[in-house]
Amino acid sequence: MLDQAKTPFEIRDYIRQQLFPHFMCPGCGHGIALRALLWAIHDLGIAKDDLAIVSGIGCSGRIGAYIDANTFHTTHGRPLAFATGLKLARPDLHVIVITGDGDCLAIGGNHLIHACRRNLDITCLMLNNEIYGMTGGQVSPTTSSDRYTTTTPEGNYEPVFDACKLAQGAGAGFVGREMTLQTPSLKKLIQQGIAHPGFSFLEVISDCTEIYGRKNDLGESAEMVLSQKADFRSASYGMIADEVFQPRNVKTGVLYKDDRPEYAQAYRQKIASRAKK
Amino acid sequence: MSSVQNIQGNHACALAAVAAGCRFYAGYPITPSSEIAERMSVELPAVNGIFVQMEDEIASMGAIIGASMGGAKTMTATSGPGFSLKQENLGYAAATEVPCVIINVMRGGPSTGMPTRPAQGDVMQARWGTHGDHPIIVLTPWSVQEIYQQTLRAFDLSEALRVPVVVLIDEVIGHLVESVDLAKMNTGNPVERKWADSSQEDFQPYAHTEDLVPPMPRPGDGYRTHTTGLTHAENGFPTQDPEVANRVISRLLQKLEHHNDLVECVNQSDCKDAEIVIVAYGITARAAQSAKQQLQGEGVKVGIFRPITLWPFPQQTFSEAIANARLVLVPEMNAGQLIVEIERYRNDSTRIIGLNRYDGEPISPQQIFNKVKEVLQDA
Amino acid sequence: MTTAVKPVKAPNTPPLTIPRPHNVLIVGVGGQGVIMISKVLATLCQEQGFEVKQSEVHGMAKRGGAVFSHVRFGEIVHSPTIPEGEADVLLALEWAEGMRWMPYLRQQSGTFIADTQRIVPPFACRNRTRGARTGYVGETIQTVMEQVENSFALDAMGIAKQLGVVKAANTVLLGALSTALDFPTEAWKSVISKFVPPQTTKVNLLAFDAGREWALGFDRESELRNIKDTRSLHQESTVEAGADYSRVEITEEWCKGCDICVKFCPERCLIMNEKLIVEMAEPELCTGCRMCEWLCPDFAITVHTPNHVPL
Repeated sequence: MLDQAKTPFEIRDYIRQQLFPHFMCPGCGHGIALRALLWAIHDLGIAKDDLAIVSGIGCSGRIGAYIDANTFHTTHGRPLAFATGLKLARPDLHVIVITGDGDCLAIGGNHLIHACRRNLDITCLMLNNEIYGMTGGQVSPTTSSDRYTTTTPEGNYEPVFDACKLAQGAGAGFVGREMTLQTPSLKKLIQQGIAHPGFSFLEVISDCTEIYGRKNDLGESAEMVLSQKADFRSASYGMIADEVFQPRNVKTGVLYKDDRPEYAQAYRQKIASRAKK
Repeated sequence: MSSVQNIQGNHACALAAVAAGCRFYAGYPITPSSEIAERMSVELPAVNGIFVQMEDEIASMGAIIGASMGGAKTMTATSGPGFSLKQENLGYAAATEVPCVIINVMRGGPSTGMPTRPAQGDVMQARWGTHGDHPIIVLTPWSVQEIYQQTLRAFDLSEALRVPVVVLIDEVIGHLVESVDLAKMNTGNPVERKWADSSQEDFQPYAHTEDLVPPMPRPGDGYRTHTTGLTHAENGFPTQDPEVANRVISRLLQKLEHHNDLVECVNQSDCKDAEIVIVAYGITARAAQSAKQQLQGEGVKVGIFRPITLWPFPQQTFSEAIANARLVLVPEMNAGQLIVEIERYRNDSTRIIGLNRYDGEPISPQQIFNKVKEVLQDA
Repeated sequence: MTTAVKPVKAPNTPPLTIPRPHNVLIVGVGGQGVIMISKVLATLCQEQGFEVKQSEVHGMAKRGGAVFSHVRFGEIVHSPTIPEGEADVLLALEWAEGMRWMPYLRQQSGTFIADTQRIVPPFACRNRTRGARTGYVGETIQTVMEQVENSFALDAMGIAKQLGVVKAANTVLLGALSTALDFPTEAWKSVISKFVPPQTTKVNLLAFDAGREWALGFDRESELRNIKDTRSLHQESTVEAGADYSRVEITEEWCKGCDICVKFCPERCLIMNEKLIVEMAEPELCTGCRMCEWLCPDFAITVHTPNHVPL
C-alpha cells in the first residue's frame, strides 16, 4: 500500500479550486499540513470518492472544506465521535479526522482517549499550533510555558499536554509527530498512519503566525517555520538526543506502533463467535 | 403461534428500530433508558448492524450522525441529563439535515433529578433545546404498542424529511410491560432515504427542491460534497450572504409545514361537541382517558385532544378541536410546558387551565376528575 | 570484475636494492580506509628494515571528501611527499580519485591498482539544477587499461562480498598491492593481523589471499577483450539546465505574501514584489528543489520539472 504513485502529485487534482485562495492567514502552517495530507493520499492511491474527511471546529476544522472529497465539518471537539460512527457504518471509506490542539485535547479530549482505546481504523491528524486561533488567540492545552495569549496576559503558567504520550497511553496503535517544515517527512508519516490498520494519531507541528507569532514576537512566518527545527528532532535519534535537547524534549517521526486488533475486526469476530453458539 | 407477547416499552422501542431498518446504534448508559441499549446490543449484530457504547452522550449523538451521513439508519436513547448533552449535535443534525432518531425516556428533573421517577419535563427542551431556529419532530407515545408504532414512524419521518426525530417516552411507559402484537404492527415497508442519483456535475446537496427535501448525496457515490454546521448555501459551502442565508434557512424551517400531512398525528375523541377539552400526551393521556369516562358518566361533555406528534404542534387541528370548548385542561407532569404553546391558540371565550405535578408521581385519573369538577363548580 | 582463473605472470616488481626511495601513493575518499592501508604498508616497510615516511591529507575529508596518503620507503628517505610522475604504485580506492592522481604515476614502469567503486563527491554536483551533468571523470576502465600497461582494476567490494565480509574490501586491495611490492606474504599477513580486530583476523587474511590471487591471475589482454564494465558517470544531460528546465509557476491570486518561499529558497531566486506577491527574480539559479512549493501554505507555487521524481 505504501508503494509510490505512478503519476506525479498535482495538488490541484485534490482541492476545491473554486474556494481558493483559502481563508487562512498568511504563513499559516495548516496549509503546509494540508499539502502533506493530500500528497500522502495521492501516493497511497486513495480515490477521492472513497475518502471521508471529518473535521471539528477552529482553524484546523476549516481546512477540510478545501479537499475535493466527502468532507464533514462537524461540531467543536467531536469529529472523532462522528468519524467513529461513519467508519463503523462505512468500513469501505478511508476516514481521516482533521483536528486541532484545542479541538482534540481540550473540548474533545474524552473522545480522543476513547478513540485511541478502541483502535478503530481512523487516522487522526492533530494540527498543533499551540493556540485557539479562530477565536482570537486564547491559551490552549499545548501553549508553551510563558507564552502570551489573550487569556494569559502574564504568560502561560499551565503545564503542557504531550499529545503523543497521551495517545500512546490511551492505546492508539500508531503514534507519530512531524513538523510542517519537513513536508516530505510529514507526508511519509501521514502515509504510514493511513496505511496502519488501527487508530493512528499524528501530531503535526504547525504555526500560527498572525496571532501566536505576533503576540510572542516569534518572528515572521519563515522564522517560525525554521524554529521548529530547534525544538524537535527525529525519534530515531533515540536516547542520546534526550540529553541534548533538554528544552522541549519532543521527538518527531514514528513514536509508537503496535498491531493490536482493530476495533471493527474485533467486533466482527465476537459477533461471529456468538452466531456459532 | 400467536405473535402477541408481553413486552416492556423500552424493548418494544428497540425492536421497532430494528424493524424500521435501524442498523447503527450508539449510546451511553442512563436510567431509565438503558434497556433500549441493552436490547439493541443483542438485536443489531443479528442483522449485521453495529452497536457501540460510546464514551459519553455527546459522542453517542455524534456517532449516530456520522453513521447516518454514511448512509445507515441510526438511533440513540437517553434521558434528561443525557438529552441536555446531546443538544449541540442534535442541532447539527437539524442544520445539516441528517436523519436520526433520538429516544428520550423522561425522568424527573431538573438536573439529575429523580432518575427512576416519571416526568414530562423535557417537552420544551425537545423543541427548543438546541440553539437557533431549527426544524424538529417530537413524538409522544402513550402505550407500549404506540412506542413500537411511533418508533417505526420516527424512522420513516426522519428518513423521508431529513430531520432529527425525538421520541419522548415517560419513564412509566418505558418500563411498562404490555401485551402487544408486534408482527401485526410492523408494516414491513419502512421508508427509505431519498439518495441523490442525478448528475454529479454541479450537484447541489441543499438544492431548493419542490418538496423542500433535497436528495442526500451518499459518500462514495461520486458527489464529494461538503457538510457543515455553518450556515451553508445550496452548494453546501458556508455563506454569510444575508439573502442566501435567509433563503436556505427559510427552506429548512418550512420543510415540516410543507409536509404537515405526514408529520401531524393527533388522536382526539369527542372533542367536537365538548365543553371541556383535555389536552394530554404520554401516560397522562391515559389518566385523562379514564377521567373522561368517569366525567361522561356524570353527563359532562368532555373530549380529549392527544397530540401524538407533539412538535410541530398541530395548531390548525387544535384550533378546530377547541372551537366549542369553554374550558381546556392541560394536565402535565411538569410545571406547565405545553400549556404555554396552547395559550397561543386560544380563542377569547376559552379558559385554559393547567394541572401540574412534578413530584415524581404520575397524574391520577381522580386528580383530573376532581380538577374538572372543581373548575365547573367555580364557573 | 571477478577472480581470474589461473596465474599467468607476476606483475612488475621493482628491485628493492635501488638507492632511490620507493613510492606508493594511496588515494580515495573519506571513510574508505586510505589511512588504514597506509598504516599497514608503513608498518610493514619499517619492520622490513626500511626508512619510511608517510604523509597524509585527510583533515577536511569527512565522509566523501578526497583523502590521499604518500608512503615512501627506502634506505634513506628525505622528502615525505612524492613528486609528480614518480609514484611507483598508485593505489586508488575510488575510481575518480585514481584518475585525478594519474599524473603522479611513474610513466612506463608505474603500477596502477584501482578499486572500481565509484563515489560521486559533493563538488562533482556543483551545478545543482536537476539533470545537470555531474563532474565525475569520464575515463572508463577500458581507456585506462589501454593507456597504462601495469594497470589493475578490481571490484574489491565484490570480492569481499563473496567472502561474506564487505568490510574486508581494503584487505583485498592490500592483497593486490602485495603483488606490486617485494615483501614476503607472511610479513604482510603478520602486520594485517595487528591492525584488524582479533575476531576478524581469519576473514581478513582470506581477503588478503583473494586479492593477491586475483592480481596474480590477472590477464590484461583477455580482460581487455572481455571488458564488460564500460560505465562512465560523466553523462551528458539531454536537458538544458536553468530556467527552461525548472519552471516555477506562481498563482498570484493565491499568494498572501507570507514570505516563507523567499526566505527558504536555497538559491535565493525568489523575491517579494511591491505588491507583496512572490516573484521569480533569478530563474536561471533555480534548481527545482521544490522547497518553495512544499512550504507554500497557499499552494500558490508549482514547480514544473520534466522528470518529476516523487519522493
